[in-house]
This record gives sequence, structure tokens and C-alpha cells, in this order.
Amino acid sequence: MAAPLSFTGFAWKNLWRRRLRTVLTLAGITMGISAFVALVGFSRGFEHEWLRLYTNAGTDLAVVETNFINTSLNQSLDSKIRAVPDVDRVAPMIFNLIDLTPDVNAIVYGWQAGAYELDSVTFLSGGRFHDGQPEVILGNLLADDLKKKTGDTLPIQGTVFTVVGIFHGGTALEDGAVIMPLDQMQVISSMDGKVTAFHVRLRPAPPGESYDGYVKRAEKEIEAAVPGVHADPAADRAANNGLVSMAHSVAWGTSSIALLIGILGIANTMAMSVFERTREIGILRALGWKGWHVIVLILTEATALGVVGGLAGIAIGWGALRVLAALPQTASIASASVSPVHLMEAMIIAIASGVAAGAYPAWRGAHLSPVEALRYE
Amino acid sequence: MSNPILEARDLMKSYDDGRVQALRGVDASIEAGEYVAITGPSGSGKSTLLHMLGGLDTPSKGQVLFRGAPLGNGAALDLYRSQQVGFIFQAFHLLPTLRAVENVQVAMLALSQRSNHRAERAAALLDEMGLRERINHYPNELSAGERQRVAIARALANNPAILLADEPTGNLDSENSANIMEILLGIQKQRGMTLVIVTHESDIAHSAPRRIRIRDGRIEP
Repeated sequence: MAAPLSFTGFAWKNLWRRRLRTVLTLAGITMGISAFVALVGFSRGFEHEWLRLYTNAGTDLAVVETNFINTSLNQSLDSKIRAVPDVDRVAPMIFNLIDLTPDVNAIVYGWQAGAYELDSVTFLSGGRFHDGQPEVILGNLLADDLKKKTGDTLPIQGTVFTVVGIFHGGTALEDGAVIMPLDQMQVISSMDGKVTAFHVRLRPAPPGESYDGYVKRAEKEIEAAVPGVHADPAADRAANNGLVSMAHSVAWGTSSIALLIGILGIANTMAMSVFERTREIGILRALGWKGWHVIVLILTEATALGVVGGLAGIAIGWGALRVLAALPQTASIASASVSPVHLMEAMIIAIASGVAAGAYPAWRGAHLSPVEALRYE
Repeated sequence: MSNPILEARDLMKSYDDGRVQALRGVDASIEAGEYVAITGPSGSGKSTLLHMLGGLDTPSKGQVLFRGAPLGNGAALDLYRSQQVGFIFQAFHLLPTLRAVENVQVAMLALSQRSNHRAERAAALLDEMGLRERINHYPNELSAGERQRVAIARALANNPAILLADEPTGNLDSENSANIMEILLGIQKQRGMTLVIVTHESDIAHSAPRRIRIRDGRIEP
């Protein structure tokens, strides 16, 4: 029985003919897509975890000085924000990324012992710290990494803290974090009387007013009551805080370079392939293949490289993300989960890369003169 | 009554901005179902004329008519090549990555036909060429004679009206040459196809009822 030949089958045979070159080209696009999946996935996961941190605690707004990493506000503004009628609770806080050991760094939060955000964490052992005391509570992931339990001590920036509780917070940003009294954090950060931000929980929205409209109104009320501050909705703050913005920039920058290398790899392969197959293209044209048939064939080959490279890149990138989420150095800020939308984007980028890289060689192949191509040695 | 399937009218072809004249005003007419040999020394322009008649190349001046209508260019020329013409080359020009049966099917990919139909027709044509046991072999696993028979099956794939063969026996020994010519003449007779062969071999040229002799880009009287 004779097997039917299709365009796809023909394209595959052409790719298979130069296995080593095909594999090397695939390695290029795989590298680009895996970098995209891992790095952009990492930065988006970071943003997502940040949003969950706010959502779990019931924080509606974050009041900050600017959008830079080291925002600094006077803690005394607390009372002015609290005086805004729609504000229910205010939690002044500091956060920073601190090296705990040569191998482990983690986000360290300074919260007041009575902060409403602590209501949303579940203590697996011990309990809350006390203001004014060198005490910390550790997220369970970090406690595992550091092999610490309640009652142990932990030196941070030259001060020895006692671990008074191990908690589960529901996000990697909490489970991989250290939380200490705000006053202690101010001392080790040299931010006496200063805070990074005020987290604000609003009173329930009045009947008939949408949540978004209510939050917008509260933003304006706070900014009017406390000149010189920004009140950002939690979702905006999650997306735009300095750490997340920097992670996004690095991820997109690195991925773009890797993708460009991958695209150039496919373009080079397809251009070489068309050059080498000049006479074969002439034969196909002699057999009545139209220019667009040649375009379809070459684009099918380029797209196949994109699809296979995309799938391999997704697998490797996802694996890398899981490794990042498991490493002590990054466990506190990385999430192993990847959204289907992100995977879809990766596949679309991979396929678009294949099509873009194959476009010129396909056009060139389609415009070869049949008789000139047949004469080609 | 004259029934030309192909006509060449004052065909001229030049290269290098006119410095090289491959054809210098060729007029010729080929009847439907006719077997014609085009002969002449190397470089005389016989292959160029064949390429023009097959729509592989376009003239610098003059025109080729198929059933009384000019060939046109672009998509019309592609359609003409895929539907009306089957090419056979001296060097076979099979695609090395494809099996014999796939090489025949590749011609049919230019026309929309069901894939199963393509495969069945390719197998039947190869069977007709005596290659039933060789359909799944790659070109490098076939002898020269077998390769040319695959090329003939490929040329017949879209059931063309005209077969154009450019030195079809040029790479074959005498036994295989005779075999290929027997096949081509059998096809021409049985299917009533028009057969135009470019050759410099006198015995093949003399097997044709009519010969067109070209020298220096012109038809010799």
C-alpha cells in the first residue's frame, strides 16, 4: 500500500534530511522559548504572589511615596490616613530583600504585632511576635530551608532574633518570608520613624457603589488628606512595585535576546535550506507548483521548527521554573505555577518566530525562475 | 485540417542584455497527438525552445500558443505546467528525500486532489512502468533506468496533454535507452499524447515522424 504524501509530510522529510542542522536550530528556538517561559513566568508569578499577598490579607490600597523600591514615608502619617472616613484599618510596614545566610535570601517584613495582616496567617507552631522585642516569625518554606523551629535563634543584619512562630500564609511571598516587629525592622534598616508603605483596608463599600469606584474615591480622599503620597489599588501596586517592575524588565529583556537568537537560527536554517534546494524548487516549479505552494512548503518547515521548539521550550522553561521555586535562594519569590495564557503566549511567539524567520526564504524560493533553478549546480 | 496544440511564433530569447542570442526568431507548429523530435548540436537552442514550449521560461520576444491561446505568465503559466505539460529530464530530477511513489505524488500536490487518490494513482502509474516492487524505494536505491521510469510516471501524474522530454536517454545505456523510448512511444500512441523530444541521438531522432532541426537559434529548413 502506497502512503499518501502531504505538504506536512514533505516538509517533515525535508527537515529530517539535515537532522543535525534541524536539531541545532531547534536548540536555538527552544532556548528562546524556555527563557521566555521561565523568566517571564517567574516575573508574572512574582506579581501574582504579590497580589495574593494583598488579597489574602484584605488589603485594598497601598499608600507609598513613589513607585521606586525604597519608598520612605514618615510613620507619623498613620494617623492622617486613619482619619479618612472610608479607611477601616491601616498597617504601616517595611519590606526588603535580605541575605539571611550566604545561600539563602528572603523578603523580610516589618509589621506591627497588631497588624490586621497577621490575622490571615495560620500558625503551625508558636504565635505572634511582640513589638519592641528581637523576635521573628518564619514562613514554613523558609523555616524548612533554614532548618529552624520555634525557639531557635536567627541572626539578621547583626542582631540575633528569636523565632517565636512558624506560619503558613498561603503565598510564596509569605511562606518564604521573615516577619519581625516594625520597630526592629526600622533599626536594622536604619529607617527610624520611617516605613516603606501603609497598607490600608477600607470599610465595606456603601450599597449601590461599585468596588472599583469606591476604591478610586478612597484613593483620592487619602491623597487629598496626605499630600505627597500615592494611594495605589492593591492590583496596581502588585504589578508596579519596584521589585516586580525590575523582574518584568529583566525577564523580558533576557527573553527577547534569547528569542532573537532563536529566530535568527531558524532564518539562517531556512535560508540555507532554500539555497541548497534551489534545483529542487526548480523541479517543483517545473511540475506546476505555484509560487504560493513553495511558500507554504517552506513556511510549513519553519513553522514546524517553531512548534517543536516551542513545545520543547515550554517543557524546559516550566522545569526551570519548578527548580527556581524549589531553590532556597529563590523559593521565597518564585511560584512553580504557570498560567495557561502564558503557555499559549509562548506557543504563539514560537510559531510567529518560525513564520517570521521563514518569510524571506519562502519569498525568495517562490520567486526563483524555474529554468534558472533547474540549471543551478 | 491543421490542429496545432502548440505554436511558436517568432520566438526570441537573449541573455546578458542581448549579448547571447539563444533563439533568433523560431516559428514552429506541433499538432495534437504528434511525435516530434527537436535536434541540433549542443548550444543550438533546442533545450531553450523546449523550455519555452513547456512554460518553464518566457521568450524575450514572440509568443507560444497552446491550443491557439498565448501561454500568458504568472499563475496562468503555473496552471499550464501543472495541467497540460509533463516534463522528463536527462538527469531525472527526482527528489532524493522522497520514495518513488512520493516523487510521483509530489506533482499532484500542485492540483487539489484527495491524498488517497494521489497515492493510488502514483502506485498505478509506477505499476504501469514495471516498478510495482520498487514503489517504496528512494532514488538512490534505483538504477538509472528505473529512475527515468519514475520520472516518466511523475510526468504522467496529472494526465497532461503534452510530454516534453529533454534528452531522456542521455544518461542511460543502450538497453535502458531502448526501453525508455519504447515506453514513451507506447504512451504517445496509447494515450494520444503529444510527445516532443529533444535529442542529439540520431536513432531516436529518426524514430520521430517529424524532426525540427535547430542551429544557432534558428530552425533549419
